[in-house]
Amino acid sequence: MGGACSRKRHQQDNDGDEGQGSTLKRGITLQWKAKYGKVHNHGAGIGEHPSLLQLSIKDICQSIHIYDSMAILPRDLSQQILNELIAHRLLSQSTFRLFSDCSLQDIILESYPGMEDSWMEVVGTQQESLLELDISDSSVTDGGLQCLELCQNLQSLRLDYCDQISDVGLRFLTTGFLNLTSLSFCNSLSITAIGMRHLTGLINLKSLNLERCPKIHGGLIHVRDLTKLESLNIGWCNCIKNSDLRPLSGLTNLRDLQISRSKVNDSGIASLKDLEKLQSLSMEGCPVSSACMDTISGLTSLTSLNIRSCCISDAGCRKLGGLLKLRALNMGYSSITDAGMICLEGLTNLENLNLDSCKIADEGIKHLRGLTNLQHLDLSDTEVGNDALNFLSGLKKLVSLNLSFTSVSDSGLQKLSTLTSLKLLNLDSRHVTDSGLVTLTNLTELTHLDLFGARISDFGTTSLRHLKKLQTLELCSGGITDEGIKNLKYLTNLTSLNVSQNCHLTDKSLHYISGMTKLVSLNIANSGISNAGLQHLRPLKNLTSLALQSCKVSLAAVEELQSTSPNLCVVHLDQ
Amino acid sequence: MRKEDTVKLISAEGFEFIIDRKAALVSNTLKNMLTSSGSFTETELGEVRFPEISTPILEKVCQYFYWSLQFASGKETEFHIEPEITLELMMAANYLHT
Repeated sequence: MGGACSRKRHQQDNDGDEGQGSTLKRGITLQWKAKYGKVHNHGAGIGEHPSLLQLSIKDICQSIHIYDSMAILPRDLSQQILNELIAHRLLSQSTFRLFSDCSLQDIILESYPGMEDSWMEVVGTQQESLLELDISDSSVTDGGLQCLELCQNLQSLRLDYCDQISDVGLRFLTTGFLNLTSLSFCNSLSITAIGMRHLTGLINLKSLNLERCPKIHGGLIHVRDLTKLESLNIGWCNCIKNSDLRPLSGLTNLRDLQISRSKVNDSGIASLKDLEKLQSLSMEGCPVSSACMDTISGLTSLTSLNIRSCCISDAGCRKLGGLLKLRALNMGYSSITDAGMICLEGLTNLENLNLDSCKIADEGIKHLRGLTNLQHLDLSDTEVGNDALNFLSGLKKLVSLNLSFTSVSDSGLQKLSTLTSLKLLNLDSRHVTDSGLVTLTNLTELTHLDLFGARISDFGTTSLRHLKKLQTLELCSGGITDEGIKNLKYLTNLTSLNVSQNCHLTDKSLHYISGMTKLVSLNIANSGISNAGLQHLRPLKNLTSLALQSCKVSLAAVEELQSTSPNLCVVHLDQ
Repeated sequence: MRKEDTVKLISAEGFEFIIDRKAALVSNTLKNMLTSSGSFTETELGEVRFPEISTPILEKVCQYFYWSLQFASGKETEFHIEPEITLELMMAANYLHT
C-alpha cells in the first residue's frame, strides 16, 4: 500500500511569471486560517461528499495527541497529515515530534507560531528525503541550522525574517547541498559578506533572494561563479553600491534582477551590459540618470522594466524605443513629459503601463493610441483630462484603468463606454459626479470600482445597480443616505464595501447590506449607525473585517456580534 | 438479488463481504478492476482479494461505500471513525482511491 513516491518533483510554481516585474508580485496577502468546526463540506466541493481519505486525515488531525508516531505511514500520507495540521494551525512542538523519520519532502512552517530550534531536530530526521524547507519568520538560530547536516538533497530553503540566523549559520550550507536551486534569506539583519563566503559552493543555485539585507555590501563577490543563477533579488538593500554589481557581469544566465532602492547609479548599471538574457529588471528609486539608458537600451530581451522614481528625462526615455519585447513598463514618478511619450509608440507588445504621477497630459496620451495590447494602464495623478480618453477608446483589451486624481470629468467618461473588457476602474476624483456614472452602465464586466472621493449622491447609485459583477466598491463622498444604499442591495457579489464618511447613513443601511452574504470586508465608519443596527450583520457569515470608527457602537455590542459571526476577527472601533 | 449485481471483497483473514456492485464502484480502484475491459480475473469473477486489508478495516470501508451512496442521494450524516483504526483506514482509503 502507499506506493513509492518519485524523487522528481513538479517545477516549482513560483518560477516563471515572466513579464511581470518583481515589484508587481509583491504584496501582502492576509489569510485567516479556518479552524475545524467552521469548515463545512470537509474540504470537498459543494454537493460532493468527502472521500474516505479526507475523512481519515481530518479525524487523525483532530485526535493527533493519541498517536505515538506517524512513521508507520507511507510518506505521502504522513505528508498530507502534516500539511493539514499546519494549515489549521494544529501543529505543536509535541505533535511535530510524531513526524520524526517520516521521510517528508516538504516542511513549510513559514510564520508558524512557536517554531524554534527544537523543531529543527525533527526536520533533520527527514534526511535525504527533504526537498523543501521554509522556516521564515521563526526564532530558529544558527544552532538550529546545524540540524540540516543530513538533508543534503534540499532543493529549496527559505529563511526570510529569521533574526537569529547570522553568518555562523550559513556555514552549515558549505559542504554538499549540490541540489539547492533556491535560497532565500530576505531581511536577514546580521548576514554580512563574511557569511556569504559560504555560498560559493552552491553551484546549482538558480534563485537567490537577499531582499532587505542591510549588511551584505561586498558579499556578492562570492556569487560571481554561480553562473546558473537566473534570479537575483537585492532590492531594498540600501548597502548595495556600484561595486556590488561588478561581480554580476558574468552571470549571463540571469533573467530576473531586482535592485530597487539600492545605491546603484549609472556606472553600476553599466556592469549589466552583457546580461543578454535579462528579461526583468527592477531598479525603482535607484539614483540613476538618463545616462543609464544607454546600457538598458542594449538589454533587448527585457520584457519587464521598472524605472519608477528614477530621474529619467525625455532624452533617456527615447532610448526605450528599441526594447520591442517589453510587456510591462513602470515609469511612475519619472521625469517623462509629453515630448518623451513618443518613445512608447512602437512598444506594441506592452500589456502593462504605469505612468503614475508623471507630468503628462492629453498630448502625450496620443502616443498610446496604437498600443492595442494594453491591459493595465495607470494614469493616476497626471495632468490627463477628457481629451486623452479619445485616444484610449480603441484599447479594447484594457482590463484595468486608473484615472484617480486626474482632470477627467463627467463629460469625458462616456468615451470609456467602449472599453467593455474593463474590470477595474479607479475614478477617485472630485470631478466625477452622478451624471458621469450614468454613461458607465454598460461596463458590466466591472468587478472593482473606486469612487472614493467622487461626488456621488443617492441618484448616482441607481447607475451602479447595473454593475452586477462588482466585488469591491468604494463610495465615500459623504452624500450617500440610506436610500442610496438601498440601490446597492442588488450587488450581491460584493466582497468588499467601503461606504465610510457618509454621516447620514443609519441602521436602515445595514438592513440593506444584510443580503450581501459574500461580504468579507465592510467599512461604514463615520456614519450614524448604532448598536441596534449590528443585528443586521448576522447573516454575513463571511465577514472578517468591520470598520466602525466614530459610530455610536459599543464594544459590548460588537462582541455580541462576534459571538455569532465566527470569521469576524478584525473590528475597528474608536478609543 | 442477482449475482452480477453484487461483488465479493475478501479481507486478509479470508472474511468475505458481499456488497452491492454500485457501492463497490465508489472506490476508483475497484471501479477500474471491476469495469475494465481487460482480462482482470476480478472483472470476470466479481471477487477481489485484499491480502493487506484486515477484516475490521474492510468492514469500515464497506460502511463508507454505503454512507457515501446515502450522502449522494441527499442524506447528509456524519461518518464516524474510531480513532484506533484511523491510521490503518487511511492507508486502505489511499490504496482504494476512495
